[in-house]
Amino acid sequence: MDVTSILDAQKAKQQNVTVEKETPLEIDAGHLMVSDLNPIDEESYNENLEDHLRALARDGTQALLAALFSLPTQKSADGPLAQLPARTYQLPRQKQLPKPKPPTKWERFAAAKGISHVKRDKKEWDEERQEWVNRWGKDGKNRRVEEQWLTEVKRNADTDHNPQLAARHERKERIAKNEKQHLANLARASGSSASGPSSRKAELEKSIATTRASTASMGKFDRKLDGEKKLRGVKRKFDPAERSVVDEQKSALKLIGSMDSDARKMRKAPRENEEGSVNARKAIRFASKGKGAASMAGGETRGKSSFAKGKKGGRR
Amino acid sequence: MLRVIKPKTARSKRALDAREPKEVEDPRTVIFVKGTHTGEVVNGVFKDLMALKRPHAVAFNKKNVIHPFDSATNSSTTSSSAAGSSTSIASLEFWAAKNDASMFVVGQTTKKRPNGMTFVRMFDGRVLDMIEVGVENYKAMADFKTPKSTPGNKPLLHFASELFDTHPRFIHLKSMLIDFFNGEEVDSISLIGLEHVISISLGPTPSTLNDATSMSLLPSTYSADSVHANPLAAVASASFIANSLPPTAATSLAMASASLPKVHIRAYTTKLLSSGVRVPRVELVPMGPALDLVLRRAQAPDSDMLKLAMKRPKLKKTDVEKGLGKKRKNVEVDEMGDLRGRVHVGLQDLSKLKGRRMKGLQEERPGKKQRIEEDDGDDDMDDE
Repeated sequence: MDVTSILDAQKAKQQNVTVEKETPLEIDAGHLMVSDLNPIDEESYNENLEDHLRALARDGTQALLAALFSLPTQKSADGPLAQLPARTYQLPRQKQLPKPKPPTKWERFAAAKGISHVKRDKKEWDEERQEWVNRWGKDGKNRRVEEQWLTEVKRNADTDHNPQLAARHERKERIAKNEKQHLANLARASGSSASGPSSRKAELEKSIATTRASTASMGKFDRKLDGEKKLRGVKRKFDPAERSVVDEQKSALKLIGSMDSDARKMRKAPRENEEGSVNARKAIRFASKGKGAASMAGGETRGKSSFAKGKKGGRR
Repeated sequence: MLRVIKPKTARSKRALDAREPKEVEDPRTVIFVKGTHTGEVVNGVFKDLMALKRPHAVAFNKKNVIHPFDSATNSSTTSSSAAGSSTSIASLEFWAAKNDASMFVVGQTTKKRPNGMTFVRMFDGRVLDMIEVGVENYKAMADFKTPKSTPGNKPLLHFASELFDTHPRFIHLKSMLIDFFNGEEVDSISLIGLEHVISISLGPTPSTLNDATSMSLLPSTYSADSVHANPLAAVASASFIANSLPPTAATSLAMASASLPKVHIRAYTTKLLSSGVRVPRVELVPMGPALDLVLRRAQAPDSDMLKLAMKRPKLKKTDVEKGLGKKRKNVEVDEMGDLRGRVHVGLQDLSKLKGRRMKGLQEERPGKKQRIEEDDGDDDMDDE
């Protein structure tokens, strides 16, 4: 058995794919880049430019491919994928590095408890109906109670309990709560430049200042407590003691006139409320949606029927 | 300048979030802008470069009055670097912000600078650096009647000449061209999908360049490794040195720039032939445009901006465990995959150690020994 001939043949094949240069070629596999640091051969350059360039490129590419084919590979649907190493040649970035965001309240809790995020899909399997339903969106499960035409109500329920409205109200509350939490997270993430305690302090000081000046003498003769800041002097204006009779008459008549003219423009003395502090008028307006008390009397069974005295009157 | 848009729909919000800075960035979107006079050559070059750069390329249809090197010539005479930005630079910044692009190629032909192209790179919405080249000898992609590679494919890059590692202007050019031709940054690649090579080579190095200015231009702390880690640092500092050179040296520098070798850009499609071994033999078929470029003006990056631009994200613990990051001497990952460190305490003199006082451990005083020797009878009961 003459193995040497086989070995020679193998060696020859290997020679075909290796590239010998004075300075070995630098390969940055991360960028798929090969740099040939050998000085350019003048004779070959001057003789035939295109051939020289092509030969150079071929050698460089061969060396690069040799390096790429020797990388660890991973099987995938499209064929073997070579795992590229980290890049050595560094390029400048386009944008600044992203600033690290502080974790939200939930993220901190989840990290502490070890809860990992589970990705949920839009569709869910409904055992009752034996089909895939949307969790939200069109025909979503979250709107089921609002959109169904029939809802069972308990026997002892209120006469004006509207399950559709109740369900809608709940959903809107959930949305509002989520929005509030989101804003709180954003405020916390933005470094809370208002910085909660100090902004509250400023608010309090402002209200204290207004209260101090809310006396008849604008806080001028009040005793000052220890630690209170000196208030800027607010002067109370008095009319001059001697005024012409005509002016006095004018101002007095004006005052009486404004008292008399429009009921809305002067605050009336508050009426004594009989049942608690409920403004019945407002309550009726809200509950009936502007339609008035009459519409609420027996209005539920009729609902949107033409008998209802709508704001714009019954039948159109 | 650009009004801040508050997203009103989920889709616009997604589009805005896509523009946020990321750790691993997308390839640079290039905008091809034509100046007041372009000419056939520049138009053709733009078409071909855009074909190579698709889909991360935008071409402006109209001609624009733009001279990127406008303020640069003004600020070189004044010492302060805070010269008012020219309107051209302002235009570039506006277009970059509007299109979310970070690279420009500005084409212009003048009598003094025929068939000129300026590559401009941006960082953080401001101009980082610029290189102006002139195109000589252009052969269009359409003139090569050969099959082309798929657009969007990641090219293999080949740089040939030692000047790309030694001469600061060519270091700068290499960085700019890699940024231009680079595709997506990927961790793994299908070996069958390597379709084309872009080869950039220089003419032979003229002897004047070898001994005269190239050596003196480089900082003394230069080394091969530092070039890869931060190649543009050499460029930035070299340009600073060049600006502060005495007039005689500066003129020789100008003369040297005229004799810089030409840059040849060629693109080939690869043909993999089966050899006996695992590595296939590669043959190249010329595909794309053939460009011969001549280096003209350049603006090196500002060193402060460059420092910011070259910042890397901190290595995560997983990467350190894999062995990346600086080689730390006392830290290693053991077989179980845990990170282990060694703490070295100095030499301890145990004789000086002050421990607890226990009767049995105390050194016998000389007086005591005699007493024990006298009571012979009790010795048998004691164990040592």
